[in-house]
Amino acid sequence: MPSRVLIVDDHAGFRRLARSLLDAEGYEVVGEAGDVASARIAARELRPDLVLLDVQLPDGNGFDLAGELRAGGRGPAVVLTSTRDAADYATRVQASAAAGFVPKAELSGAAIERLAG
Amino acid sequence: MPAELHDPPVLTRAEHAVARALAETARSDEVYPRVLAAIGEALGWGLGAVWEAPAEPGGTMCCVATWHAAGVEAGEFEALSRATGFGPGQGLPGRVWSSGSPAWIAEVAEDPNFPRADAARRAGLHAAVCFPMSGPAGVLGAIEFFSGEHREPDALVTATMASIGAQVGQFVQRRRAEQAVLEAAELKRAMLDASLDCIVTMNHEGCVLDFNPAAERTFGYRAGDVIGREMAELIVPPSLRAMHRAGLARYLEGGDARVLDRRLEITGMRADGSEFPVELTITRIEVPGPPTFTGYIRDITDRKAAERELRESRARLVAAADEERRRIERDLHDGAQQRLVASALGLRLARAKMSADPAAALEALDQAEAELDGAATELRELARGIHPAILTDGGLEPALAMLARRSPVVAHVSVDLGGRLPPAVESAAYFVVSEALTNVARYAGAARVEVRAEMRDGSLALRVSDDGCGGADPAGGSGLRGLTDRLAALDGTLTVDSPPGGGTALRAEVPCG
Repeated sequence: MPSRVLIVDDHAGFRRLARSLLDAEGYEVVGEAGDVASARIAARELRPDLVLLDVQLPDGNGFDLAGELRAGGRGPAVVLTSTRDAADYATRVQASAAAGFVPKAELSGAAIERLAG
Repeated sequence: MPAELHDPPVLTRAEHAVARALAETARSDEVYPRVLAAIGEALGWGLGAVWEAPAEPGGTMCCVATWHAAGVEAGEFEALSRATGFGPGQGLPGRVWSSGSPAWIAEVAEDPNFPRADAARRAGLHAAVCFPMSGPAGVLGAIEFFSGEHREPDALVTATMASIGAQVGQFVQRRRAEQAVLEAAELKRAMLDASLDCIVTMNHEGCVLDFNPAAERTFGYRAGDVIGREMAELIVPPSLRAMHRAGLARYLEGGDARVLDRRLEITGMRADGSEFPVELTITRIEVPGPPTFTGYIRDITDRKAAERELRESRARLVAAADEERRRIERDLHDGAQQRLVASALGLRLARAKMSADPAAALEALDQAEAELDGAATELRELARGIHPAILTDGGLEPALAMLARRSPVVAHVSVDLGGRLPPAVESAAYFVVSEALTNVARYAGAARVEVRAEMRDGSLALRVSDDGCGGADPAGGSGLRGLTDRLAALDGTLTVDSPPGGGTALRAEVPCG
């Protein structure tokens, strides 16, 4: 089970709740980032096992960042998340380098485990 | 009757005198007096008159010319003739009109069918002769002569007069036909001159035969400078000339009439080389000889511009509506939706921590509550931005008052509408004032803004004026352009008056019919 998690989302309230939720289920949240630029730095420096990545960020989108983070098939597993539903993104999730997608309202350690375990 | 007056040489002279009179007379109103004088003088009659048959059936003959020899005093008789109308068979001219043959009266006072007998007696007139003036189309009228003497009918004189009558009749008829042609030509010329459309006629070689004043105005040429020149090089843009020439050649070879008698939209060229859109119809004129073509051309620059403006304005309205939907989706997603999801997560977290860590559960509940409050506030704002309930429920007056209360710059509103307006007008007016107040707060540096809405001649007149720095873009920026389009869709207008240092006044007018 990937234990070290980086949360990337521009909504601070969500980051805080997600951290508490994942904490409670035994994950170690090693860092948070609010945009693509700081996510790149955090991923390089913190070397998380998993990145919980919001699809829509102020300076870019999660699909592209997932591709970057997973370049060469290495790097942390990526789970995309959004307030929108998976259906809103149709095939873009499958086409991306991410392990999967979880709607924000359904976020839990178990959901992440299913996708990236 | 003097013997010499019916001598063949005298009669021949009379015929020659009439022929000369006809040949030398250019103006039709001079023909009758000269013919009367020629006959009267040659044959020794003292007074003559010409009667014309009516153009329409059922009318009467009218005396159109009289003549008298020097020394004959018959003013009353001539005036009576000119004032009298004779139907078929009536009086001397009517008799001749009906029969088509000459008539001779030796003594008019004794004739049973001579209504002018009293005036004739007073004028001392005795004998009368009358002969038809006839052309190929029938009897056109009659010519009568009177003498102060008693004269017995003379077959030779009568025959001569009948011959002269035919001569005059043919002349008159030909002159009338010429006149009709002339009038038709003048009418055609007047129609060409008065036309607002350009009318350009071209022969089978493509050369200009006629160029009406509208064509002169539109293309910038004088007719005199273009007639005889090839039309293509004058008014057809270079890029279309080959096609034009090929089309003409194709038609002349095989009669392929693909451009005839249809309305085409094409490009024309002015004398200065500038090109402009025209509507063109070409027809072939049916004249003997090689084909002649007439083009009816209308400058449709204004219509094209109006159509383009309408298309663009429509596209902008659609784009603005799309953009509005994108904005609403983004606002919902970034705002209320995020907060509701966070709130749900907070509640789940609180439940999970409830027994093990009550303090953490309480903190999660606090956060869920805060997110719910935030979501409710954002939804309220968003709903008001989409369409304010107060406008739907209460109309423009309370809605503008609400905008004024929310305006950061002190706003004074006066509304005098006498009732509700059509919903589309109320909405447009509301968003104009809303946008204007936002602009005042952002850019004007104003201390005060006045909003006035009133009915004027069936239109809503809206005015938002501030005491700020002025100098606003008269085009109004993108927000106001969207409102201009919206007002234009209601046949309304928006103007911005913003002299530097003189405040900004925005005026909108929307018909409410």
